[in-house]
Amino acid sequence: MSYTIKLAVTLGIVCIIAAFALGGVYEITKGRIAFERERVMKEALQNVLPRAKNIIQTTTPEGKVYFRGFAAEDTSAAPVGYAILAYGKGYSSTIQALVGVEKSGEITGIQILFQQETPGLGAKAEEVLYGETDSWFQRQFKGASGLEVAVDKDGGKIQSITGATITSRAVANSIKSEMEWLKKEGLILSESDRLY
Amino acid sequence: MKRSLVQEFTKGFIDENPIARLVLGLCPALAVTTSLINGIGMGIAATFVLVCSNTIVSMIKGVVPKKIRIPIFIVVIATFVTIVEMVMAGFAPVLYKALGIYVPLIVVNCIILGRAEAFASKNSVGRSILDGLGMGVGFTMILAVIGSIREILGDGKILGFPLFGPDFEPVLIMILPPGAFFVIGILLGIFKWSDLRQEKKKLQSIVH
Repeated sequence: MSYTIKLAVTLGIVCIIAAFALGGVYEITKGRIAFERERVMKEALQNVLPRAKNIIQTTTPEGKVYFRGFAAEDTSAAPVGYAILAYGKGYSSTIQALVGVEKSGEITGIQILFQQETPGLGAKAEEVLYGETDSWFQRQFKGASGLEVAVDKDGGKIQSITGATITSRAVANSIKSEMEWLKKEGLILSESDRLY
Repeated sequence: MKRSLVQEFTKGFIDENPIARLVLGLCPALAVTTSLINGIGMGIAATFVLVCSNTIVSMIKGVVPKKIRIPIFIVVIATFVTIVEMVMAGFAPVLYKALGIYVPLIVVNCIILGRAEAFASKNSVGRSILDGLGMGVGFTMILAVIGSIREILGDGKILGFPLFGPDFEPVLIMILPPGAFFVIGILLGIFKWSDLRQEKKKLQSIVH
């Protein structure tokens, strides 16, 4: 009996020491990790909303988050564009992409923030060819009409990644559905609205 | 026969290479070696954990009751892996993004528990550190070799730099899981073949 207690106490002490070590490292790295995360997000926002000087996060009453980009520090003017996070179910992960769009419904850029697709296939959604600075797949979305985004197999203009239709489709369709939400909210216009 | 300190360090390179000779830690070796840089990153992260856990395990070997040594080793290893993960997320975000889900896998990397149980719990702190470093370097080297072969054949690149013209059609399967099995199988074969040759030479020199 006493031997059993001794074992339990020893294991307990080891775990307590480990917990304190982890707590210490967590406290040290916490700020740094949050800072990194924010930096990545800020860079992505600037990439997808190149015309915006001041980007503000907005939460709808339903709890949906999107970003409004303003041309100047002044936020009373109309926003030059919106950014929103799109989540698409890919082949082996949920792909998270940030999309920037102008009021006209024209996409100003997308950036994939997270994906764990198959290396060599779906992961090519983030591939940057040698000598280039941005991803060839994501570049295709720039200038496209948000509400009409679709991969070539679905009759759209986005060239899918060879062997990774599921990934390509997940990105395109998730973006399209976010664009539809923005339109429903009256934030962006569709092709037909623009004619009038 | 006790090894010299130098041998303690270098044995992990080839003689007791974790992948090629001990055949331990195949899970990360299969999963992360789609490119050279991933292989090196995983190797360095595993080496760090290996050295730290060997040090601690060797230090506490006197006070750890035999019956609960494995849970204690696991707690020590898991603690270091979590520390590595947090530090990487904060200070090396690019590497963290590439290795992402694989870092927590180091916890169950059998090399680390294997060395804790087979070596560090029976040897001095100094020797355990050397053993951890050597094993880590051996692991990193073999991951780098596998990663290079797979990146060159499967993607036509090395460290992201294209090696062949635009007409090169990469052997896609090499970058997918089966490619890892092919490369590791062939490497194990080469190691075994060189072993057999050396043994044969030894036998012949005895006969003559």
